[in-house]
Amino acid sequence: MNNIIQKINQTFTLKAKQKNENQLRVDVDKNLVSSVLLYLKTQLGFIHLNHISCVDWIEDNEFELVYIVWDPENKITVLVHTRIDRSNPVMENIDTIWDQANTYEREMREMFGIEFPGLVGAKEFILEDWQEIPPMRKDFDTAAYAEKTYQKRPGRENARDVREELMKRTGEELPDFAKKYSRD
Amino acid sequence: MNINREKETTLYLGPQHPGITGNMMIKLKVKGDIVTSAETHVGYLHRAFEKLVERRNWLQSFTLMCRFCVPEPDPMELTFARAVEAIEGREVPPRGKYIRTIVAELARIQSFLLWYGGQSGSAGLYTLGQWSVGDRNYILDLFEDLTGARIYHMYMWPGGVRRDLPEGWVDKAYKTMDYLEKRLDDYNKLLFDNAVFQKRAQGVGIIPKDKAIEWGVVGAPLRGTGIKHDVRIDEPYEAYADMDFIVPTYEGGDVWARALVRRDEIKQSISIIRQALDNLPGGSYYNRIPNPMKWKLPPGEAWVKTESVRGEIGFYVISDGSNKPRRVHLKGAAYTHGVKVLEKILPGQNIADVSFILNSLGVCPPEIER
Amino acid sequence: MTKNPNTKIKTIGIPSEEEIRQAQIDFSPRCSSAGRVNDKETQKMVRYILDFARKHSLFVLAYGTGCGAIEIPATMTSRYDAERFGIRGAATPRQADVLLITGYLSTKTLKRVIRVYEQMQDPKYVIAFGSCTINGGMYFDSYNTINALDRYLPVDVYIAGCMPRPESVIKGFVKLQELIQNGNAGNGECYRKNLDWYRENQQKVIKNWNFPDEYNW
Repeated sequence: MNNIIQKINQTFTLKAKQKNENQLRVDVDKNLVSSVLLYLKTQLGFIHLNHISCVDWIEDNEFELVYIVWDPENKITVLVHTRIDRSNPVMENIDTIWDQANTYEREMREMFGIEFPGLVGAKEFILEDWQEIPPMRKDFDTAAYAEKTYQKRPGRENARDVREELMKRTGEELPDFAKKYSRD
Repeated sequence: MNINREKETTLYLGPQHPGITGNMMIKLKVKGDIVTSAETHVGYLHRAFEKLVERRNWLQSFTLMCRFCVPEPDPMELTFARAVEAIEGREVPPRGKYIRTIVAELARIQSFLLWYGGQSGSAGLYTLGQWSVGDRNYILDLFEDLTGARIYHMYMWPGGVRRDLPEGWVDKAYKTMDYLEKRLDDYNKLLFDNAVFQKRAQGVGIIPKDKAIEWGVVGAPLRGTGIKHDVRIDEPYEAYADMDFIVPTYEGGDVWARALVRRDEIKQSISIIRQALDNLPGGSYYNRIPNPMKWKLPPGEAWVKTESVRGEIGFYVISDGSNKPRRVHLKGAAYTHGVKVLEKILPGQNIADVSFILNSLGVCPPEIER
Repeated sequence: MTKNPNTKIKTIGIPSEEEIRQAQIDFSPRCSSAGRVNDKETQKMVRYILDFARKHSLFVLAYGTGCGAIEIPATMTSRYDAERFGIRGAATPRQADVLLITGYLSTKTLKRVIRVYEQMQDPKYVIAFGSCTINGGMYFDSYNTINALDRYLPVDVYIAGCMPRPESVIKGFVKLQELIQNGNAGNGECYRKNLDWYRENQQKVIKNWNFPDEYNW
């Protein structure tokens, strides 16, 4: 573990740190990501790409991308974090390193609107004929959209707190243990 | 359609197709009846769970989490519960850990019994499906006694499990395990001694051993290529460190090897459940959380892996200190199996084998699109 | 070959396809006013026999639209054995009588389901399965799932629950059989009559009606 941290830190002058007994985290500049991942894969034996995730930090106007790679020999996971600009999200395409990264990137392009230059694959992956902003962005309001688009069956609008609604209908008292778990 | 070996034809397999494993579509290019290229189209089951949990608090999220992939709701709950515990640093009492192990293994067995039906049904052997899916009800009965529901349990919560084992449940579980062990021999005779299944499964849908990890293959398909990787052994969680079990591996990487891996894994699961029931510790089963409506988690992130039925699944969870998750992202086994691996191994196969291979890879489309 | 002017059915020989179709329309309970047999008792008996036969051979389309598909194998296999009610699977929409909507419908699936429904032949029945088809269930605020199925397709029977147990599934089918026997089930014709209303609702959700290129009817 310490060996790996040292190697990453020396090669790229980074600050990798241990998260728990078999995970370590490293924060990387956007331009370095592909070199770090390639180094992890070819030199240190992290040949399995676990996951690529994206988090919308709307307060900072940034997207955080997390690449998770795993070493089957030493059973160690590395989480490579990077942040990109939210107003003009462009990220390097890494599907030449791992082919299945293509799937993640297609999903991120659709769900967050991040562009990956040179990414192969149909524009539509999950959604069909989507006309709003990319739906996984924080500023997209799913409830308002559902309200506007889909017809609701009457009766659901009062059901915000089912217990109160049922109490009103049946005239029963709310039991004491339930009062403890009220919404407010 | 003009069946011409030279001419390339496009064939849409799904979304409405009896051979497809769930609601998805595979666009095949075929020459005669040989597949030349395949492309997976998903999105028919997209419910935007990861968006919806941003509007629900931590405990409410559990009702959505188990619905990610319907044949295996319990591993999803377990993984999310472990992710929440990892962020908060909450401990689970030993009894809670053992009960969780038992439920996770029961979920594995019921999903494998369903797989027996799917795998044999796609080879045209319908008798086995009648038996194994019928016997699966005995495990669902155990779930029903324990949690009140057959399919979706919402049983594992942060800090442990929701209820203790009811009276007489342990005896019932022992009896069910004895019964299933007897029945397994019948299933295996019917499936593995069948010449049709042998001929169709051997040498079909081969995943090369040297590429398997790099392609992102996990679970039984990976162990079917001869690589021994199982999260339960590599990074033991819950009570698996105390259990004595082996991880079966077979060489070959074809449908046959994957079927053999699953056949042996059911036996191991039965053994794990027996061991957990034998050594069930006493004490509390639940480390109580505060009022769930006001329950806040400290800021932090967690990447937690679990060996589900189809292979390794992981949850990447981020908390920003509020009572709602900032981001929950699932990586299911089917995310790689169902898209890129499938697109790589299908060319060169017969059309009739496509649904056969789909079943053996365990492609569950809701895991891909969530 | 001569035709009997009163019954419009050939007395000898094999009827042509057109006549079979006409006879089916005429015999179906919804079009009873155009009855060829004036004798009320005979008409009643014929309808009774037709409905009796229909209700005991319900071919369910094998289309798992949502997670409810998990309880269908359990319903069909040995313990619950739905085949004793005459319920069994059918591979293509053209052979199926019942469209079982197993759970939530995303807009992408709805487009396919509408097409599947329109491909099915009369008499056709729709069973909606699960709370999410009734009012959205736990996906009420999702941007990708519809909330009330009967705005888009005519529904005969709803089965509540998430997930409904096999017993409730069978109960739903028995209810459908009851409706068939009473002549109240099967809204294919009603759907065609009110197509404008349904299309208007469907088009609010489905923006683009085109299917991929090589897809044909």
